[in-house]
Amino acid sequence: MKFAIALFSPAHAPSSRRALLFAQAALAGGHEIVRLFFYQDGVYSASNNIVAPQDEQDIASQWRAFVREHQLDGVVCIAAALRRGVLNAEEATRYQRSAVNLEAPWALSGLGQLHDAVQAADRLICFGGP
Amino acid sequence: MSTLHVVSHSPFTDGRLNSCLRLCGAHDAILLCGEGAYALQTASAPCQALQAKGLKVFVLAEDSQARNLPVPAWAQSVDYPAFVQLSIDYDKVNTWL
Amino acid sequence: MSKSLLVISRQAPWSGPSAREALDIVLAGGAFDLPIGLLFLDDGVFQLAPSQDAKAVQQKDLSANLQALSLFGIDDVFACSQSMAERGLTSPASAQTLSGEQISQMIDRYDQVITL
Repeated sequence: MKFAIALFSPAHAPSSRRALLFAQAALAGGHEIVRLFFYQDGVYSASNNIVAPQDEQDIASQWRAFVREHQLDGVVCIAAALRRGVLNAEEATRYQRSAVNLEAPWALSGLGQLHDAVQAADRLICFGGP
Repeated sequence: MSTLHVVSHSPFTDGRLNSCLRLCGAHDAILLCGEGAYALQTASAPCQALQAKGLKVFVLAEDSQARNLPVPAWAQSVDYPAFVQLSIDYDKVNTWL
Repeated sequence: MSKSLLVISRQAPWSGPSAREALDIVLAGGAFDLPIGLLFLDDGVFQLAPSQDAKAVQQKDLSANLQALSLFGIDDVFACSQSMAERGLTSPASAQTLSGEQISQMIDRYDQVITL
């Protein structure tokens, strides 16, 4: 089966970890992930500036590693990201902001990518909240 | 058509489970996870409402275990591979974000 | 044939960015000519309340976005009648009111759903 997985919560939310574990189980079960789409507070799960407490899981780091290892399409909604101050180098330059906190493997793009994923996948699974 | 509804908010502080139960179809199922697992708190109103609705109820095993919540006979505990399978068995997944 | 998507908007207009971000999903889908439906449920029905004044809280007035729905080919706009009744709201001009049973059947007809 082809899955589109959308995440709406930050790295410290239990649902971000839950989405990651679901995604891992989907691949382990032989399924395909068409795209990961991070929307609303989900954009924070893609930040490369998170410093997780030493005695807690570093979910943002685990997401990065997961996307890299399986060469997945990890898309962060640009409108949601800008509003929340999650910027890649291009946007930081464009808006003259002092910091870059979004890098590869994540890509900034529009909601069209969410719709494209919904059309391409057999199942859309959303994660968010606690 | 059947929908797997996913609820991760506590039913004691939040209205999502109530709205979900109101709008569930006869062939739908509910997966409790995160704080939603508290809906299985014994003899609570949400637990009684869930049982009375008569739908299939699943709970993510790690969440009932972490919270020391019993899984009643009418509910089923699932791990992540089973969660993935459920999302395939049902026609679509509606997460109450 | 395109898969249909139902967006269920449950948040009040200025509780945060959720109301706008739900509408953005719908409008983006309309821009791509996809079959999209929008249901206002629970506090989401407050987005349809009359005579609101976004300027008073320096928030964006979403009524222009709501009016854009039909321009983007989004005509399937619904509101939960029970949510409206609980909140003392009368039938909105811009959405078709549905009972819980009708909503349940409607959710079944869509290929995918996002509830935010």
